[in-house]
Amino acid sequence: MRSRHALALATFIALSACATRPDPADPDAVAEFEQNNDPLEPANRVSYAVHDAIDQAVLEPAARGYRYVVPEPVRLSIRNVLANLRTPVVLLNDLLQGEGERARITLGRFMVNSTLGIAGILDVSEDWGVPGHVEDFGQTLAVWGVGEGPFLFIPILGPSNPRDLAGTAVDFASDPLTYFGQGAVVDALSLTRTGLTVLDVREGLIATVTPVREGSLDPYATFRSGYRQRRNAAIRNQDAQRGQAQSTGTGVSRGLGLSVPLR
Amino acid sequence: MIVSRRTFLLGTAGLGLAAAIGPAQAEIDPARATAFIEAAGRDLVAQLNSTSGTVAQRRERVAAVLRRAIDIEGTGRFILGRYWRQASEAEQRQYLQLFDEIIIRNLSARFGEYQGVRFTVGRTQQRSEEDVLVTTQVDRPNSASFALDWRVAEVGGQPKVVDVIAEGTSMRLTTRSEYSSVIQRNGGQVGALLSAMQQQITQLASREGR
Repeated sequence: MRSRHALALATFIALSACATRPDPADPDAVAEFEQNNDPLEPANRVSYAVHDAIDQAVLEPAARGYRYVVPEPVRLSIRNVLANLRTPVVLLNDLLQGEGERARITLGRFMVNSTLGIAGILDVSEDWGVPGHVEDFGQTLAVWGVGEGPFLFIPILGPSNPRDLAGTAVDFASDPLTYFGQGAVVDALSLTRTGLTVLDVREGLIATVTPVREGSLDPYATFRSGYRQRRNAAIRNQDAQRGQAQSTGTGVSRGLGLSVPLR
Repeated sequence: MIVSRRTFLLGTAGLGLAAAIGPAQAEIDPARATAFIEAAGRDLVAQLNSTSGTVAQRRERVAAVLRRAIDIEGTGRFILGRYWRQASEAEQRQYLQLFDEIIIRNLSARFGEYQGVRFTVGRTQQRSEEDVLVTTQVDRPNSASFALDWRVAEVGGQPKVVDVIAEGTSMRLTTRSEYSSVIQRNGGQVGALLSAMQQQITQLASREGR
């Protein structure tokens, strides 16, 4: 009896969390509803409010502290190392997308930066005119023809959709460093990497998120539109040719999806 | 006979579509678009970097450059989208005026951040028959350089900016999403957007000169 009540309640919540479809007699409204691709908007807005509260209380202050305490050249080196560590995942996805030339660039950069660049601290390849790029399994799925599904806003991870969320999980699982070694030292290193990744991504987003939060009449709508546009540009490989730590697969996932000034 | 009739029908449909999209846009020459962005960008950068006069005077000089370069009316109408037709004539006028002011004040509220700005024009791509994308890179001291792409179309015989794309994000599309969301969440009232825009201008104005 009780479980039936719970079920009814859950159904009610799930239904009330859906946006109402506009009147089919209004084709403009229907077109807009479909273009927004956000049938779960009411629930997503709640998630956004939760995310925003966590971000303002924890993530953003942490990122500002990181910017304040760590000098810029060191932050850049950290960004380079993190990007270099992501090579296996980027390479795998270059290959899965059939991008031979980009895969060759990814591999070449890894070999140069890991050696001459001292374990990835220096981006020697970029100085030689071979900038890096990012790829992830969400993009690979898109290249394979998988649709994005409805827009999702997930606290801490940020804007996403079922395809990109699945991609993030696969990226994590396909990262060899996820399985490398064991013991306290390895755990500490991997925790450090995750922590630095979150700080690095969020620090890079300060210049993007703050103006939207302060200036947009509806930040949620701005982030939603920005995320989908940026993802589509990235899928077509039209992203600026220097996406380093921007797509990290953990922490503040793909950030808030707007422009991430790098360097 | 049938073919010519079909062509005629297609032609009329095409004309209707062009009329629906807005002021007829002619084909644009990429070289002309690039030269236009180079000149407009140089003017804008010069005004942003000149510190003579009061903030209000500087704002007016920047406004003059922006109004010459941007198709404010066309872009504003595109952004309001389906609500343009629902708005009364007075609302349309007020909307365009507020939109114009927001564009200008967004820059004038950040004069300090743009001190020492430089830009370089990159390649130009023909995007469609009507518009061309001119890529630029913007550099500011002590901050990351970023890519800004300018969509240029011929409007009334003059090349004009119809969209700005920052690192893959079209301002026109993002703002359209933002504005329509404000209207929708306020019971479909265009007036609600207008008062929100008014508030935003007040906020931007209070930041000016800080």
